[in-house]
Amino acid sequence: MKRGGLQGYIIKRLIYAALIAFGVVTITFFLLRLGPSSPADKYLANMSARTQDPAQVVAAIEARYGLDKPVYEQYIDYVVNLARGDWGWSFSTSMPVMKLIQRHWVYSFQLILLSMLFSASLGILIGIYSAVKQYTRTDYLATLFSFIGISIPNFWLGIMLILVFSVQLGWFKTFYDTGLPMFSLANLKALILPVITLGTGMMAGYTRYARSATLDNLRKEFVKTARAKGLPERVVIGKHVFRNAILPVITIIMFDLSGVVFGGAYLTEIIFGIPGLGRISFNAIFAGDYPVVVTITLIGALVVLLTNLATDIVYTWLDPRIRYD
Amino acid sequence: MKKISSKVGGLKNLMFIGALLVLGLILLLDIYLVDKILAPLEYFYLFFAILVIFYGLYPLYVNRRLTKYYWERTKRHRLAVFGLSFIAFLIAVAIIGPFLTQDPTKVNFEEKNLPPLGFSIQQSVYDLKTGEFVTRETPGTWKHLLGTDDKGRDMLAMLVSGARVSLQVGLLATFIAILIGTIMGVLSAYLGGWADMGLMRFTDIMMTFPFFLLLVFIIFIFGPSLAFIILAIGLTGWTGTARLVRSEALSLRTREFIMASKSLGASDARIIFRHLIPNVLSSIIVIATLSIPAVILAEAALSFIGLGDPTVTSWGVVLHAGQRTLDIAWWVAVEPGIMLFLTVLAFNFLGDGIRDAFDPRSQL
Amino acid sequence: MNNTVLEVKHLKTYFFTRSGVVKAVDGISFGLRKGESLCLVGESGCGKTATALSILRLIDSPPGRIIGGEILYHGEDLLRCSSERLRQIRGNRIAMIFQDPQTSLNPVFTIGDQVAEQIKLHLRLKHKPAMERALYLMEQVGIPQARERMKDYPHQFSGGMKQRVMIAAALSCEPEILIADEPTTALDTTIKAQILDIFRDLKQERNMSILFITHDLGTVAGIADRIIVMYGGRVAEAGTALDIFDQPKHPYTHGLFNCLPNISAGRNRLTPIPGMIPSLIDPPEGCIFNPRCEHRMPICSEERPKEVVLSGEHFVACHLYS
Repeated sequence: MKRGGLQGYIIKRLIYAALIAFGVVTITFFLLRLGPSSPADKYLANMSARTQDPAQVVAAIEARYGLDKPVYEQYIDYVVNLARGDWGWSFSTSMPVMKLIQRHWVYSFQLILLSMLFSASLGILIGIYSAVKQYTRTDYLATLFSFIGISIPNFWLGIMLILVFSVQLGWFKTFYDTGLPMFSLANLKALILPVITLGTGMMAGYTRYARSATLDNLRKEFVKTARAKGLPERVVIGKHVFRNAILPVITIIMFDLSGVVFGGAYLTEIIFGIPGLGRISFNAIFAGDYPVVVTITLIGALVVLLTNLATDIVYTWLDPRIRYD
Repeated sequence: MKKISSKVGGLKNLMFIGALLVLGLILLLDIYLVDKILAPLEYFYLFFAILVIFYGLYPLYVNRRLTKYYWERTKRHRLAVFGLSFIAFLIAVAIIGPFLTQDPTKVNFEEKNLPPLGFSIQQSVYDLKTGEFVTRETPGTWKHLLGTDDKGRDMLAMLVSGARVSLQVGLLATFIAILIGTIMGVLSAYLGGWADMGLMRFTDIMMTFPFFLLLVFIIFIFGPSLAFIILAIGLTGWTGTARLVRSEALSLRTREFIMASKSLGASDARIIFRHLIPNVLSSIIVIATLSIPAVILAEAALSFIGLGDPTVTSWGVVLHAGQRTLDIAWWVAVEPGIMLFLTVLAFNFLGDGIRDAFDPRSQL
Repeated sequence: MNNTVLEVKHLKTYFFTRSGVVKAVDGISFGLRKGESLCLVGESGCGKTATALSILRLIDSPPGRIIGGEILYHGEDLLRCSSERLRQIRGNRIAMIFQDPQTSLNPVFTIGDQVAEQIKLHLRLKHKPAMERALYLMEQVGIPQARERMKDYPHQFSGGMKQRVMIAAALSCEPEILIADEPTTALDTTIKAQILDIFRDLKQERNMSILFITHDLGTVAGIADRIIVMYGGRVAEAGTALDIFDQPKHPYTHGLFNCLPNISAGRNRLTPIPGMIPSLIDPPEGCIFNPRCEHRMPICSEERPKEVVLSGEHFVACHLYS
């Protein structure tokens, strides 16, 4: 009976996610059509040095992308192509957008994954510790640092780190070295500054949420029960309080993905020259290469959608109280 | 007593509508008769100012006791007082500053890369007489207290100009976002059924886009002008408010006093404006104060990566210039960052203080 | 008196709040004997729970702090022993049951895990035998289909069942002393009677010492050997159940009885005690009860009454008897 409920729940979430994905695609299409200039013009503006007849080029591009068809046909084409995996052709790099993404996604992935691991583990630890030591100097210090952490603009922090550790001290290169093998210490070292840049703000946020979630749970009766059982304090906090406090923090971490993390990663990649999706999108913007910009926006939304879906499903396992409806 | 107060309320509404009409008239004149009375952004300001006066300052003045109570509670938050003072200082700088400083766009290669007063660096300078590059000691000067960038522009003037831009964007974009969010939330909660379904699914879809990516995408398509950046942030940043207002309004809708006024035959509009909105106002104020720093950061980030309005000097633009000359002139990157950091910190402190002040459960 | 297992001497537990110092427990002394059930009775806010929590040093700090007294478990002062030693006693030798079963169980762990937890800890059993023992205990306290229900989570249990679970967990290491802090208050009347039956059985079969805390003299009647009536953080009257029920002396104890519905006595009106529970931040001078007392004398607001021994174990703190 329970399993059936869970399956039904997952199917419901999947259908819902598909609907949202459809909405996301539709919005990007209409934003593109609403724009003051046609994508062909954008491309042309960047190709103006070429000697071809501009009108011919426009016509060719419009024919190639079906821009001369009525809007609703364009819309159908757009959705169908996306669904078929044909995400367009990158003008500026002369390859299918999908291939470009395949080459570069891993740089963003490693940056975001490492930053999340770094910030979530440290942030949650500091938050819990600070809550357990409420009203002590450590707690005040942690609170102050988390305020500073959430307020510091991450792109500025990145530049300051480069200024101090790369320019002044010369410990790191000012740019990320793309030639390094993925799983090597050198690559890890090259990622230290970017991870701190991206992770500090996230960490500060998680510290605050973990602290308040822990404080909420420390006052609960079951903590007294656990202590009355004779459990050592590290089990009381590490097991009983932690498992309850972590639930809202996980929601925040997943929610952060669409806000702080992607925006931060975009900027971090630009500052350190990491050739991830943010950097690709950035280059594409200045080349007027709109299929790349669209694709990366869509990928961002899809990743958010999938993590939300995953969180919902993981939650049914983490929180037994959840009801499948 | 009752009569007078209701008359004053009527007068207030009349004046509010009158002010809006005058603004609309100027706009019509601007479009059809005279060319450029006001810039598009200035319409924003005036509209914003009218709303702040009638729905912000006036109620605070009328309910002096409540104002005093909240002020007392906020005051006990020392960090919030620091935040408020810094914001007041920043507003003063943004309004008066540009009249006192030099032209932030004035290029002067004679005085490029001057460090702030009290610092001194070695740099190679092109000597006009000999026609050669010579390394020379360049100390900071009184003329450029905070130094100059690699084009000889005065840092102080640029920072002051940046303060103006940041506050404009922060206040106006937040205002638009909150306005849209509140309307969406109240409508959704109040209409219920299919309308609620539709509006909330739309909110979900908008929330699925990573905020900054969507912003970059919109600016990429529509082009970067300050007015448009403000509009874009406003049009994408309303989702959180909509959800919050909806859930608060939903829980309020079933409460007795709203039931009571409904049973007395109050119209929907009356219930929304007299009961729902005033009651969710405290949450709205908190979320507004806390989203201003996020908005300021978003604009700075856009300018920093070169997607900002190229005609204005914002902190992000200066920071971008600073990154290029990091090895020669560190201050160009450091100074706007510090301003940005302090501004965001101040709003975060204030927002936290206001949240605690509005929360009757918090012990202060 | 050498069969006394727990002795509380001059216990003082204060709460240091923003609005002042709350003297929740202000110099209380009593002893608990082997196999005896002792009931602490009083209105809410009289310091019963603070007393119970102080015994195992479970007072939330801040704001609470035990500022004086001794709690002797077989002569060993629990207030001064190491936290390691205290842990060995908690749950193992002295177990505790709390007031609200809804919140006393951790919502994210299964019932079986929570009952087995202290079995693993104190009896050093592996997972499987510990679960077997947990199952046995749950059957003992009358949980139907215990084997299946062990895998369930607290929110799938009713309030009465949760309290049975709490009792099963408390009994798991065969403690010498069981402290039950209002274990029936949050339950329906019928469930309440069932839970009280469990306690009665415990006392008879296991020869366990029980410190039973309640605000309701009615619940006490069936199980108490001795009763201590608390008021405002102090002992008002103490004695055997017979002493208290037959010859209540303190005006406050009288008041408590007058609030009880009693069909046989033919009383059809309940008389509430007039006035409010005093603020323990700024308690009345002299006898704390004096503002509400029918027999108030001038001395009552001047001097704190001493404990007067009436007969055997029956004593009262009231100027009427000095």
